[in-house]
Amino acid sequence: MPSRLFHRLAATLFFIAASALWTSAIAQLGTKTTGQGTSVVTTPYVRAELLAHAPQGVAPGQPLWLGLQITHQPEWHTYWKNPGDSGLPTDLAWTLPAGLDAGEIAWPLPKKIPIGTLANYGYEGMVLLPVPVTVASTYAPGPLAKDATIKLRASWLVCRKECIPEEGEFTLQLPIQSTTALNGDAFEAAAKAQPRSVLAGTNGIVPDSQAQIADGNLLQVSVQGLPVALRGKTLDLFPETAEVIDNAAGWKQAWNGGVWTAQIPLSAQRSASPSLMPVVLAEQAAPGHGTGPDTRTGYRAELKVLGTWPQGASAAAVSPALEAALKANAAQAGSAATQATGSGASSLTLTAALLGALLGGLILNLMPCVFPVLAIKVVGFTQHAQDRRAHRISGMAYTAGVVLSFIALGALMLGLRAAGEAVGWGFQLQSPAVVASLAALFTLIALNLAGVFEFGHFLPSSVASLQARHPVADSFLTGVLAVAVASPCTAPFMGASMGLTATLPAPQALAVFAALGLGLALPYLAASWVPAVARALPRPGAWMDTFRKLMAFPMLATVVWLVWVLGQQTGIDGAGALLILLVGLSLVVWALSLAGRARVWMASVSIAAMALLVWAFAPHVTNVPAAQAAVPSTQMSSGTGWQPWAPGAADQIVASGRPVFVDFTAAWCVTCQYNKKTTLAHADVLADLQTKNVALLRADWTRRDPAITAALASLGRNGVPVYVFYRPGKPPVVLTEVLSVDEVRATIAQL
Amino acid sequence: MKLLRRTLIVTAALVALGAQAAATVGQPAPDFTLKDTSGKTVRLSDFKGKHVVLEWTNPGCPFVRKHYDSGNMPATQKDATGQGVVWLSINSTEKASSDYLEPTRLTAWAQERKAAPTAVLMDEEGTVGKSYGARTTPHLYIVNPQGQLIYAGGIDSIPSARPADIEKATNYVKVGLAEALAGKPISAATTAPYGCSIKYKSPA
Repeated sequence: MPSRLFHRLAATLFFIAASALWTSAIAQLGTKTTGQGTSVVTTPYVRAELLAHAPQGVAPGQPLWLGLQITHQPEWHTYWKNPGDSGLPTDLAWTLPAGLDAGEIAWPLPKKIPIGTLANYGYEGMVLLPVPVTVASTYAPGPLAKDATIKLRASWLVCRKECIPEEGEFTLQLPIQSTTALNGDAFEAAAKAQPRSVLAGTNGIVPDSQAQIADGNLLQVSVQGLPVALRGKTLDLFPETAEVIDNAAGWKQAWNGGVWTAQIPLSAQRSASPSLMPVVLAEQAAPGHGTGPDTRTGYRAELKVLGTWPQGASAAAVSPALEAALKANAAQAGSAATQATGSGASSLTLTAALLGALLGGLILNLMPCVFPVLAIKVVGFTQHAQDRRAHRISGMAYTAGVVLSFIALGALMLGLRAAGEAVGWGFQLQSPAVVASLAALFTLIALNLAGVFEFGHFLPSSVASLQARHPVADSFLTGVLAVAVASPCTAPFMGASMGLTATLPAPQALAVFAALGLGLALPYLAASWVPAVARALPRPGAWMDTFRKLMAFPMLATVVWLVWVLGQQTGIDGAGALLILLVGLSLVVWALSLAGRARVWMASVSIAAMALLVWAFAPHVTNVPAAQAAVPSTQMSSGTGWQPWAPGAADQIVASGRPVFVDFTAAWCVTCQYNKKTTLAHADVLADLQTKNVALLRADWTRRDPAITAALASLGRNGVPVYVFYRPGKPPVVLTEVLSVDEVRATIAQL
Repeated sequence: MKLLRRTLIVTAALVALGAQAAATVGQPAPDFTLKDTSGKTVRLSDFKGKHVVLEWTNPGCPFVRKHYDSGNMPATQKDATGQGVVWLSINSTEKASSDYLEPTRLTAWAQERKAAPTAVLMDEEGTVGKSYGARTTPHLYIVNPQGQLIYAGGIDSIPSARPADIEKATNYVKVGLAEALAGKPISAATTAPYGCSIKYKSPA
């Protein structure tokens, strides 16, 4: 104890003398600094002093060390760079003259400080935390400057059992021209306390030190190149990477010739997964900690980590994984052109999205709901095969109708999104009212095709003659109709492009919608501009009437499907109500098509009946039962182990080590239903899924569901179908929309 | 099916408790029964179906005071409980420690700071703290409605005792809860806890 008293006395004397000196120095130079600088801060628990070592003064290329020397009260400690289970490393923030650059703290060998069931790494007694300073060749103090002003703001946590966070502001005037070597011994001792690298030793052989991850909870460490003097001794291990090992746990170690091995348990709540783990090894300190100087030498080895870090903790790696999935989506959207690199990436992805949208639009023509409308229209060409100019104009009008409708729909979606609504592509069909309206529209089209009525019979003559007098307007409206009937069929290749629209600026997003429309209009446009196409069409004749009536049936099939979709949304009551309304609508249309007195009577009666039906049943159609929202009933009916998707469910299963397959689907999505009944019901696929113990989740987007919209967005998508595999520790795999058995099986094989 | 899963979870939790293995993110959270500051018995499994935040606390610790005196912890608690989340503050400080506060004084301390946990639980024996591998005050955990541990780590991203850093830091619990409630995976599911060592009762 007397020695510490002396130390303190000496320090105090030094402090007084130093302060006096600086005060005079500042007075002489006339450069007022804010406040009075001090190089020592004393608290009830530590005495901290800013020290410098500049044997050659402050000059470029000459050694310059600064350091904070902390002298702890007995039983108190501060922390190493990895503080262990609690605590904080001491932090030094420097303010140095221009041209001086402070490096990192050269941490001396720490001690392991056990606290009950926990362990810390830190320092007791006296420690100097040295920092190397480089002096740039541009360092040019003014001609009058004698000293360099060194400022340090240090914060440290000093603990016994209780902890006290402390801070200190330090100032030191460092003579530029003359020697500062008063504390040479302290810096020399600190240099000795530096862990040295386990050396490449003789012949330049790089020692092969590694940490093998074993059993998911153990690191098998082997270190080569330790000095002979340590052999056979029990060592302490200090990991420089925090939050990896269980610091307080006991572990086994052994010497195997010149190789030191140890089995170190991992922390159950590990938050770091390094690929290189630097550790410091030193002879185990004698039990009972004194305040005497630590004479041990530390050796630093960089362990190569072999094996994969166990799951659970690596959930933190979700963001890069998502990034990978997003990239995969972007690549999928286009052709080989998506080898996007560097600055051109965004424009290339846009090009890919535009191409994808164009292709998707083309495919829309073949959808069962669109084809009849177009087929009739194209056949119409043959009626006026010679009037090419009229055809071109009508082709342009049709294209304009399609493209403008798509842009309007896209703008509506973007607008809703901007207003904070969680909507995605296909959102129109999540509203029962829209589904019911479409069903009514398709019924009317079917009745018209079947010849039950002609529009001319009951529309005001001005509108009825529109078709004849304004073929351009008629074509435009056909385009609008085509979009209305095509929107349910989110075609293959469209998903990724649509998803992209959510991330693109509005003009570019609308361009994608326009490309989709162009794709849909393209066949008609081609037929109207290229005479060869029109000429290839069959001659007009009686067959046309038969063909037209035939086309009524796909329309009715579409109605059946829409009623089923509505049934998914509002239940059997809603579907029943819709059907009775459709019957009423048909009655009204038929009554209007009659002639003379019958028409007046029948029309009045049927319209009155219809009004009654609407009043009685319309609420059923649009009423979504709240309780039902949680049970996607038909989606469960396949009975092959599908579970309803819930927010976070996939992650929980993945966290337990099981791969997960999620089917994002909706009743109104034709592609989804097709895949579900074919590929996803394929015996081989089901068998493979079972062998790999894949959990099957089905996310039903038939009704609006913000959680599913969010999940789709996180995969870079905006509509269904989306098929995705989640795997432990790897980025999710998003499959294509047109699901082939081979593709699914190949992906399963890679799990 | 559901019953089977629940049984499995409970069994796993019991096994985990028996083995004294520290809780792991992605695994069932160890169930426990503790008395709150009013003497009422509280069980973790009573809150199945809700998200539960476990916060290890000790008013004697400057890091805890950083987050309470600044209002950060009470605000985070209010934010959580306002969204239907259960917040349990747990004090595992042993009775012999100079930091130990009796239930009434602990309640008074928390009330002065307008703390808003669902309950403050006494764990003087440290068994619950040890079963979770809680090391520091504060040390925070999130348990999901299925009873699985989905977060373990610090309150925020800047380990310091300076209240001024709170503004600059990412509040991991707030972010984690927001993600969990939105049905997303927690992007930072394990982080480094920072603070004082928990003053556990030394093993007899």
